[in-house]
Amino acid sequence: MGSKQATSSFEQKKGLSAFVSKNTNLVTFVTLAVVLGLVTGGRSFAWASVRNLMIAESVRAFAALGVGMIIITWGIDLSIGYVVCLVASVAASFAQTPDYTAALYPGVNFPLWLPFLAGILTGGLFGLINGCLVAYGKMHPFIATLGTMSIARGFQLIYTRAAVVGSLKDSYKVIAQGSVGPIPNLAIYVAMACFVVWIVLRHTRLGSNFYAIGGNAMAARVSGINVRRVQISVFTIAGLLYGIAGCLLSGRLGLANALTANGMELDAIAAVTVGGVSQTGGVGTMSGMIIGVLTLGIINYGMTYLGVDSYYQLLVKGFIIIAAVYFDMKKYAKRA
Amino acid sequence: MSDGEYVLEMTGISKSFPGVRALNDVTLRVRPGRVHALMGENGAGKSTLMKCLFGIYHQESGEVALDGKKVKFHSAKDALESGVSMIHQELLNVPHRSVRENIWLGREPVIKVGPLRLLNHRKMHADTAALMKALDMDINPAERMGGLSISKQQACEIAKAVSYNASVVVMDEPTSSLTETETAHLFRIIRDLTSKGVAVIYISHRMSEIFDIADEVSIMRDGQMVGTYPIAEMDEDKLIKLMVGRDNTNRFPPIDAQIGEVRLEVRALTSADPRSFKDVSFELRRGEILGIGGLVGAQRTELVESVFGLRKISSGEVRVDGKKVEIRSPRDAIAKGIALITEDRRGSGIFPLLSITTNTAMASLSEYLNRLGLLRHRKIEDEARKYNESLRTKTPSMATLIQNLSGGNQQKVLVSRWLMTLPDILIMDEPTRGIDVGAKYEIYTIMAELVQSGKSIIMVSSEMPELLGMSHRIMVLCDGRHTGTLDKAEASQESIMRLATQFE
Repeated sequence: MGSKQATSSFEQKKGLSAFVSKNTNLVTFVTLAVVLGLVTGGRSFAWASVRNLMIAESVRAFAALGVGMIIITWGIDLSIGYVVCLVASVAASFAQTPDYTAALYPGVNFPLWLPFLAGILTGGLFGLINGCLVAYGKMHPFIATLGTMSIARGFQLIYTRAAVVGSLKDSYKVIAQGSVGPIPNLAIYVAMACFVVWIVLRHTRLGSNFYAIGGNAMAARVSGINVRRVQISVFTIAGLLYGIAGCLLSGRLGLANALTANGMELDAIAAVTVGGVSQTGGVGTMSGMIIGVLTLGIINYGMTYLGVDSYYQLLVKGFIIIAAVYFDMKKYAKRA
Repeated sequence: MSDGEYVLEMTGISKSFPGVRALNDVTLRVRPGRVHALMGENGAGKSTLMKCLFGIYHQESGEVALDGKKVKFHSAKDALESGVSMIHQELLNVPHRSVRENIWLGREPVIKVGPLRLLNHRKMHADTAALMKALDMDINPAERMGGLSISKQQACEIAKAVSYNASVVVMDEPTSSLTETETAHLFRIIRDLTSKGVAVIYISHRMSEIFDIADEVSIMRDGQMVGTYPIAEMDEDKLIKLMVGRDNTNRFPPIDAQIGEVRLEVRALTSADPRSFKDVSFELRRGEILGIGGLVGAQRTELVESVFGLRKISSGEVRVDGKKVEIRSPRDAIAKGIALITEDRRGSGIFPLLSITTNTAMASLSEYLNRLGLLRHRKIEDEARKYNESLRTKTPSMATLIQNLSGGNQQKVLVSRWLMTLPDILIMDEPTRGIDVGAKYEIYTIMAELVQSGKSIIMVSSEMPELLGMSHRIMVLCDGRHTGTLDKAEASQESIMRLATQFE
């Protein structure tokens, strides 16, 4: 029974079928893009469409990169949505126009770096807390981040008194809304974040340790890896990414309120799962995460274009996530 | 055959695993109302035989008959319902539920209320109380299982077996965590059972117990049944001879190492876990292989993992090259030049979904960073390749996932991992477990080369021939105590077994 499989896994696979089985997520994405292109008569390939997709998915990409790394270490993070919401509100509160009477700090003109500093620190702090709860509190990350999710939501409502934080300065909004030539700023920030995450995962000891802990935490410990410190690091790095996401989101929307970024954790987890980050830990790449984000984005975009009711879009998204996890499990169960 | 003389007959049982003949034509016959001891070294095939009885493994040939009727169990539940029950060494109960719920688990009495089936707590309680009374056990059926002492939990397992009207009860090392008085109580229960006609198969390494409680003893060796004898015809020496008698030639490479100065010194090391090892001292010299022998449960793994910083110690000290060192984590140990290859290759060794290169380099990545702190992939791959080539790891490429290699090659990758940390002292816990015979010889050769190059090795092993064939000295543990150290010249299977069974 096992002999045929064993020999086949020893052969170096070549050719198209090997490429497809190795890059399932990329092939899926390209296929979807081509199908959508055909259906829309090429209009989905127009620069304006591509640009819209990039802008729409950019903030989610930050969240996906963060939670993707966490899932590689066999963790999970449910706090993303409300942490991003809190960050967006904190950042926005320091970027309101000084003459706006309903501002949280009316009459104060904060320097432009302050909202970013405050937002990113808030995100990083929540990541650090999540990491400590998991590493030192020995809590399951699902439960730990369920708790911090509620705490982030509470802080957001208390801080904003459940009001909209609006009337943001143009100089703040343009950071997120501007473009360099035809390329939206947001896409550039995402590219930069991707580069950093790629460096971390591929070229640093820390990144190797993520895979080690996710693949076999006990073996990682025996190999002299400080498992707790790595867990804290991954949650903190993810938190910093959520911080950037929150700042950019408030700038892009021009406001923040209690509904900002709601449900983003599920979108991000779904995206990286579709992108091949295994829920059983130890597997995943930066490119996979981004392809996952774009795949879900293109599905949304395509269905909207085709006039599919947004309620049905939720159904389709659900099926896609379940299918992705199913195939992912089959892929790794076969070899074990 | 069906003359009713035997309650259980296992005849001609054979079972193989890839590369290993685990059981070869084994026959075991058990009489009702007797305690039948089953003995043999680690790996002799006792547990495999019991697993075949309970349908956990399926034998290739041979059959099992109960009361003269051929049976085939597919699960432990199957066996239980036919009156064959097993009490495992490690207790398998639901600690957070009560005693009565544990005993009736999966067959709870119910009351029918219309279409509903509701638990009949009262009946469950009364039945349990009656059962306990019949067995003269002082256990409250409502008590939480996890709150009971280990011996009482074990008594509950026995009660559960009785509640199934078991005719055969298998006990696997039942006294390994019991005190003397608890053992005496267990023996009273066993005698009570046999007086009711129940047959008990008693697996134990403890000689004195065997002579205390058993009526007959069957001895296994290397997957074969050596024989069954009335206990009256036996004495300790005879038993040991039967358990270990085997020739031992040419399975090991010659070791030609210069023994030098003391590298590692362990003084009066005591585990933080009161059940584990106490007051163990030893030293290890340059170029030496120190074997650590003992039976399952002797705390050998716990000892070496404590030296490596994986487990906590309460007292004692460790010296490396004469200097006292504090080792609180594997990281500290690695920094002091100590490496540990754990016994559980899957559980704490390999990263199954990572490549050979990454698996090899994982413990020494910090040595391969460039000025920016980034990994030097090319250098890492070259080094990983160098070590794996020198150990003759067979792999299609360095990028192959380690889970696609054979056990022996996985082990070579792990040895490579630790050699890459440039250790002076290698601790190898069961270095050839689950590896086929040819690959074993290769691992032995690697070990010989390592000590010849001036490294020192501590080898924990459950295989007598391996201990005798590879070690310069053999330290023996029993029940967490250091019962003796034998020089190569004076070591024999008999002398090791004697030290390994020196229970207090």
